[in-house]
Amino acid sequence: MKHISIILLAWLSIMNQTGQGLYACKNAQISLFSSAPIEDIAAKTSSGTSVYNSATGDLIFSVAINTFKFPKALMQEHFNSDYLESDKYPRATFKGKIQEHPDLTNDGNYPITVTGELDVHNVKQTRTIPATLTVAGGIITMKAEFTVKCVDHHIDIPRLVFHNIAESIKINVTATYTAAK
Amino acid sequence: MKKHIALLALLAVTMGARAQQKSAADSLMNAMNANEKPVPVTIFKSSRLVLAQTTETVKKNELNFQIIHRFGDIAGSNGGGQTAFGIDRVNDVFFGFEYGVSDNFNIDLGRSTIGQLVQLEAKWAVMHQTSDNASPFAVTLVGEAGAKPYQTATFPTFSSRLSYLGQVIIARKFSSDISLQVSPTYVRDNTPFPLLPGNEQSFFAMQASARIKLTNHSGLIFDYAHPFSNFRKNTDTFEDPIGFGYEVETGGHVFTVNITNTNSVSEMNMLSNSQQRFSKGQYRIGFTISRMFDFNPKVKKEKY
Repeated sequence: MKHISIILLAWLSIMNQTGQGLYACKNAQISLFSSAPIEDIAAKTSSGTSVYNSATGDLIFSVAINTFKFPKALMQEHFNSDYLESDKYPRATFKGKIQEHPDLTNDGNYPITVTGELDVHNVKQTRTIPATLTVAGGIITMKAEFTVKCVDHHIDIPRLVFHNIAESIKINVTATYTAAK
Repeated sequence: MKKHIALLALLAVTMGARAQQKSAADSLMNAMNANEKPVPVTIFKSSRLVLAQTTETVKKNELNFQIIHRFGDIAGSNGGGQTAFGIDRVNDVFFGFEYGVSDNFNIDLGRSTIGQLVQLEAKWAVMHQTSDNASPFAVTLVGEAGAKPYQTATFPTFSSRLSYLGQVIIARKFSSDISLQVSPTYVRDNTPFPLLPGNEQSFFAMQASARIKLTNHSGLIFDYAHPFSNFRKNTDTFEDPIGFGYEVETGGHVFTVNITNTNSVSEMNMLSNSQQRFSKGQYRIGFTISRMFDFNPKVKKEKY
């Protein structure tokens, strides 16, 4: 009986840990940039959402395509209607796991790798993305930079406008998390 | 043995809790993304179809430059191989400049070959169709004033050379493939156009238009217009303008190749005076080229 109570205590403490392990970010900044012969393409959003479960390492990102702001209205319109088809596929998501187990109680920079599925334009690609996790005074920040190839996500670029559009897009993500209650 | 079972059970519960934790992350995510902001729906690719203007406006600090042609008759007595099926004859050329004062308000300037008509237009997108269907359609108001400055013989005073047009454009994108539009229109020609006995100075008209998407970059467009004018109804040379075309968009350009019976581009001319008939071979190739120029301040790379 004694043993069971010890196990029960241990189990409760585990449950407690996992219960506290959820972190959320409602204003993840995501930007995309690509350099093309005629004009650079750049857009930004700060409406990305993310949830990080420190107990399991689960990491989820989601962003509504139509929140990306372009300096040119026409570019934004084409991005949504012609390329990403945001009326059909409104969100881009990433669901993965952080391979490392950074110590969130100690301030510092932790290089991490995240493996999971990137879903853009309703096409899923398994990706391993290097990132940095920073803990400073209990605040967790994650930063990542990676490249998305249009062809990998069936984003068709018609030949007529080929020179205007880059075939791969650089993505920058910054998310600052607070503990979810 | 009992202890072992209890241990296993606890382990199972713990594992279950961990598995649940994953869906907890998911459900937290879903809750965070539950109230998505509705966005305005872009109903048409361009501010103009074959005949009608659309509900779309040019966005702030952008300039849309349009060149619109109507060639000569493809068939009939003025068409055929002799005029390269009308290409030799240019019946109307329209230069248009549409400038976005704000995202929803445009000032447009246009000039036509027919009547040397110079027109000034204000276009105001009053209401957008939204993605959540809270607003099921878009409404844009158009007001135009046009002058025929050189026709001093027919129009002795300046005010007699003026025409006006008022329009309410209502459009809806029914699916990602089909957009429909109607535009009740009021036309006023201070001197009736064409200047024939019995012609009215002012009349109402209705335009109906459609766009069907073919690919992400191209579509088919249709236009029909009907002036509610007793004079035009009772004079059998007048015909309702009909147009259909193919529209392709390449980055900053939109090209349209179309076939219409009417000679005129400007709606004031087109609704007042369309006397061409499909049955007489009086239909023509037309095209629209539009190019968007952006005058928004350049954005530095480092910001992205």
